[in-house]
Amino acid sequence: MKKDIYRTIAVVTGIFMLTLSIMLVANYFQVRNITPLETEVMTTLKSLNETNPDNADLQAQIRQLDLLSRKAYFVQEEHLKTGIYILLFMSAVFIFCLRGYYADVLHIAPKDIDIFDEWLVKSRSRKYVQWLAASLTVVALVLVVASNPQWLKSDKTAEEETLVAEQSEAPVAESVVAEATPTETVEAAPAEGEQTEAETADEAATEQTAEAAPAAPAAARVNHGMFRGNNSNGHSSARNIPTTWDFAGGGKIAWKHALTTKQGFSSPAVHNNRIFYTGGDEASRELYCHDLTTGDLLWTLAATGIAGSPSTPPAVASNTGYASASPATDGRYVCAVFATGDIMCADMDGKRVWAKNLGVPDNQYGFVSSLVLWNGIVFVQYDNSDSQKIIAMDIATGNVRWQKDRNQKVCWSSPIIATVGGQAQLVLMGNPEVRAYNPSTGEQLWSVDGMSGEVCPSPCSGDGVIFAANEYAKIMAINGADGSVLWEASDYLPEVASPVYANGRLYIATTYGVLAAFDAKTGELKAERELNMELYSSPMVVDGKIYIIGTSGQVYVFTADDNLQQISSFETGEMTYATPAFLDGKVVIRSLNTLYCVSE
Amino acid sequence: MKDDKKITSPLKRREFLRMCGTAIAGGSVIAAGSTLALKSKGAKGNVFWQIDPAKCTQCGRCETHCVLPVSAVKCIHANRVCGYCDLCGGYYISNVKDLNTAAENMMCPTGAITRQFVEDPYFEYTINEDLCNGCGKCVKGCSSFGNGSLYLQIKQDICVQCNECKIAQVCVSDAIQRVDFATAYKLKE
Amino acid sequence: MKKIFSTFVGFASVALAQAQNRFPKPDFESGYQYPDLEYAVPDETLWNVLDVTMLVALLVAATWAVMKKRKPMIWISLVSVLYFGFLREGCVCSVGSIQNVALAFVDGSYQMPWNVLAFFLLPIVFAFLFGRVFCAGVCPMGALQELVNVKNGRISKPVAMVLGLLPWLYLILTILYAVTRSRFLVCEFDPFIGIFRLGGDVELLVFGILLLIISVFTGRPFCRFLCPYGALLSLFSAVSWKKVEITKKKCINCDLCHNSCPVDAIRPPYANTDKEERREGVKRLLGYMLLMPLLMILGALLMRMSAEGLSRAHKDVRLYDMVVAYEALDAPETIPLEVEGFYMRNGTLDELTVVKDSIVAEYRTYGTWAGALMGMVLAIALIRFSVKRRRETYEIDNAACVACGRCFEYCPQNREIGKSDIEK
Repeated sequence: MKKDIYRTIAVVTGIFMLTLSIMLVANYFQVRNITPLETEVMTTLKSLNETNPDNADLQAQIRQLDLLSRKAYFVQEEHLKTGIYILLFMSAVFIFCLRGYYADVLHIAPKDIDIFDEWLVKSRSRKYVQWLAASLTVVALVLVVASNPQWLKSDKTAEEETLVAEQSEAPVAESVVAEATPTETVEAAPAEGEQTEAETADEAATEQTAEAAPAAPAAARVNHGMFRGNNSNGHSSARNIPTTWDFAGGGKIAWKHALTTKQGFSSPAVHNNRIFYTGGDEASRELYCHDLTTGDLLWTLAATGIAGSPSTPPAVASNTGYASASPATDGRYVCAVFATGDIMCADMDGKRVWAKNLGVPDNQYGFVSSLVLWNGIVFVQYDNSDSQKIIAMDIATGNVRWQKDRNQKVCWSSPIIATVGGQAQLVLMGNPEVRAYNPSTGEQLWSVDGMSGEVCPSPCSGDGVIFAANEYAKIMAINGADGSVLWEASDYLPEVASPVYANGRLYIATTYGVLAAFDAKTGELKAERELNMELYSSPMVVDGKIYIIGTSGQVYVFTADDNLQQISSFETGEMTYATPAFLDGKVVIRSLNTLYCVSE
Repeated sequence: MKDDKKITSPLKRREFLRMCGTAIAGGSVIAAGSTLALKSKGAKGNVFWQIDPAKCTQCGRCETHCVLPVSAVKCIHANRVCGYCDLCGGYYISNVKDLNTAAENMMCPTGAITRQFVEDPYFEYTINEDLCNGCGKCVKGCSSFGNGSLYLQIKQDICVQCNECKIAQVCVSDAIQRVDFATAYKLKE
Repeated sequence: MKKIFSTFVGFASVALAQAQNRFPKPDFESGYQYPDLEYAVPDETLWNVLDVTMLVALLVAATWAVMKKRKPMIWISLVSVLYFGFLREGCVCSVGSIQNVALAFVDGSYQMPWNVLAFFLLPIVFAFLFGRVFCAGVCPMGALQELVNVKNGRISKPVAMVLGLLPWLYLILTILYAVTRSRFLVCEFDPFIGIFRLGGDVELLVFGILLLIISVFTGRPFCRFLCPYGALLSLFSAVSWKKVEITKKKCINCDLCHNSCPVDAIRPPYANTDKEERREGVKRLLGYMLLMPLLMILGALLMRMSAEGLSRAHKDVRLYDMVVAYEALDAPETIPLEVEGFYMRNGTLDELTVVKDSIVAEYRTYGTWAGALMGMVLAIALIRFSVKRRRETYEIDNAACVACGRCFEYCPQNREIGKSDIEK
């Protein structure tokens, strides 16, 4: 009788438990991936609300949904708790009844399922232990291999090396060279033919340079991501650039756009179809984006609401302003920095990704150093009177990757990325030292004393040599590998415009209007041209030609060689301080009052 | 000779070995016990887990990784640090249009933050602990636009003091550490 | 519940002076007073005293039950499950205390709370004196399995014997991970904590419930095949001062005690019928004894070489891997939270590399020991399984016996006489 009651209760609670737990599990899987407070519907509604703020229906919808989802969240939490309590109670009853039902045979085992002979059991156990040991060894071996991936690799390289060595003895050495990676081949190349080795080295070198230069000719589109082109080196691989244009008459002008945006001397940066530049005054600082095809202003992003940004901006000179530093873009993000010390980063649609203040700069003219981008890192040369720093930040987050104190004097030039021996170097002018850093880690590679005065031009580089020049100082050619000075000269010195290197020649443009060419190996003055104009904008070397724009809008185009042959010279009549951006078949020029695009 | 024989007989041998074992085990219990007792003597008893608000980066894992169904991490508010702003970065979403309590403007997903008008233009903010789930959204808002008066703390009366804090294991900023009774909360003033 | 024993910490006593003060504090004209907030801190010392008192009380009760052959074990189990399990939510527990103790041994700066030490030592002391009375019903995990157990289904003996080695391997791994400050494996993979806390990690909850369902049909799967603390206790109970024994004179060979034992600790009489020559047996035994150092060296070597793989259990080593992977990317689209946090606290890869290298070095040292111990565990098992032994009576394996007292209940002699038939 008692047994029957136990059984009935056990069966009932058992069924109840089963249903309840199935319900709980189902409920769990239902809500597992949904956080009721952050549903997709809610986020889309909220983002919709952002784009059209005055939609009362939408807002009512959001409010209702918010109320519902919060209610759902707490009710569900409550339900789960109750469910678990019930389940627990039921389990206790179930187990109690089960024990009651089986009371007389509780805990009694059925007969042994094994053969009774203990020795046989032990023998079998021994066998199993051996299996266990073997499987543990296998697991451990897998772990060992996973822990030492270099073993696998080194074995392979050894094999490859022997292969290469065998094959290079055969006459088909060249094909091997093509297949193997450069460094390995250099190592494995036999001493039998010096010529092969030289060729290999050459090939390796070209491959490396091709890798290092982001705007390789193979790239579908030439961009101009920052001040003075990619790597800020004064070069562009753009082709089909017109050598004359007529601003007033409209000849070869694709579009022009009278600027109603805030003033600024920053140079445009262009990626794909977007042009970025900055402007600012005491009231606010802004980043602008224009369409490259039409010239329309796509969006404006103000640098407001940044933590630590000064409420009254620091005083700046009128000829530098608040927006002299050029923005930089990699096609995913665009970063801009202003004389208030505010740096901000936005995506291509003008949505701010991050922003911060680097500390209000103490700078008699105002902070002007342009941004440089490399491998997802944005670099700011923050050499002000009170402190001098180089800051490397993650472009996606703004987190500081590394930062170094420079212990120099205030300086107004911008960093560049130089390629020395296949490795990128971040090179900074400074007063008095020119320095190179490892852009990934911030490790200082070398430092050369020699600058003085008010250092404003950026350095430039070519063939592993860094060129630094400043008025009141000298031109220095520095070996990028070890920081030794190759030569010095002081015939013509730049004040604002940066030098540029091309094909074994260094070109210097002075503020009072002289363009000079030096032999990059010896420092010998090869040619000079009197331009009769004032010059702030930096010369650019594009497609074997040097483009120079004077402040009054006078444009000169020269051949980039010893002759400095003048290809054209014309007036645009537009005051121009910014360095133009060069793209395939197009030049984007920011004059003081107009943004215009030159096209064939 | 006789003794030897006794010991070599299997039963006696087993007995003898067992006695040795007993001695060794007893000795090791006493040895380990006393060394450990010496070690734990004078221990400050750092039994509480707590977040250092100076390190916290509001990654959001406090909400999701606590062993409790609703995290023991709650947002708390330092009244003396607060700016009592009308436009509060912890109360409103970042690009709020109207400063009213409509759902589309609020930062807190559970509606745990309420505010009360003090005098023009100041508001006093209060957090309803029962609703807070430790997501840290308001903390992020407050520390990027405000004084940082909102911050996350582990409520010691809710925390079950696990031997190893699950959140500490995944904390990206190493902000969770053991503290003793006197510093069970790391409060801002 | 916890609030009963709580005190309050004043607001200003432990304040951090680190406010950002982007906005100045307002000047209130209306005489506004800052509200003072207070936060409750449970006074853990009271709880700790209570926990240890409960532990001692239950241990004494269980010892008395075993020694007097009474059966209040089910009530002890109930109290333990309710108090240590559901009320105290599974923490502090003796199984987990292994890790704190291991850490305290190697890390001088680690301060072990005294209650953890008590939870570690008391069961061992009792095991040394009276056998594993802790396992019998004081441990909430054992008690829970004992309570739900209905059938005593048998597992194939050789399989059970091999599975019985797992607690040892688990113990070694647990200690390895504890001394390297990586993680507390036992706490992380505790299958019953989710049940006691009525919620938690779903995978573990499912594992725990499965274990419980299994323990309805067979005795104590967790204690037998997983529990590292049980392995440790068995060392002491094997040589305990007072032991439960079976009196040959009164035994009627009914086999009931053997059948009711949940952990298979009662060995029936066995007459060796194997015809193998004695020399063969001795040769085998010697062979395994010689194998022991080999296995230990092999284990040590393998574990030493897998130090890097093992060390990935450590948070900082994983962080190192993530940072390296992240910095190797040319143009990372997204940044992992961990890496972001790392940069936000101005960490550099150089510092992290130093940390990582020191952790890996620790793993190399301790891993070598762990590997040797694992080899030893396997070798000792092989040796034990190659010893032949005759038994004329039922014998109790004191190492495995969890002192649950079922055999007393089932022994017909014990029941009838009401006195000791299974005697100490």
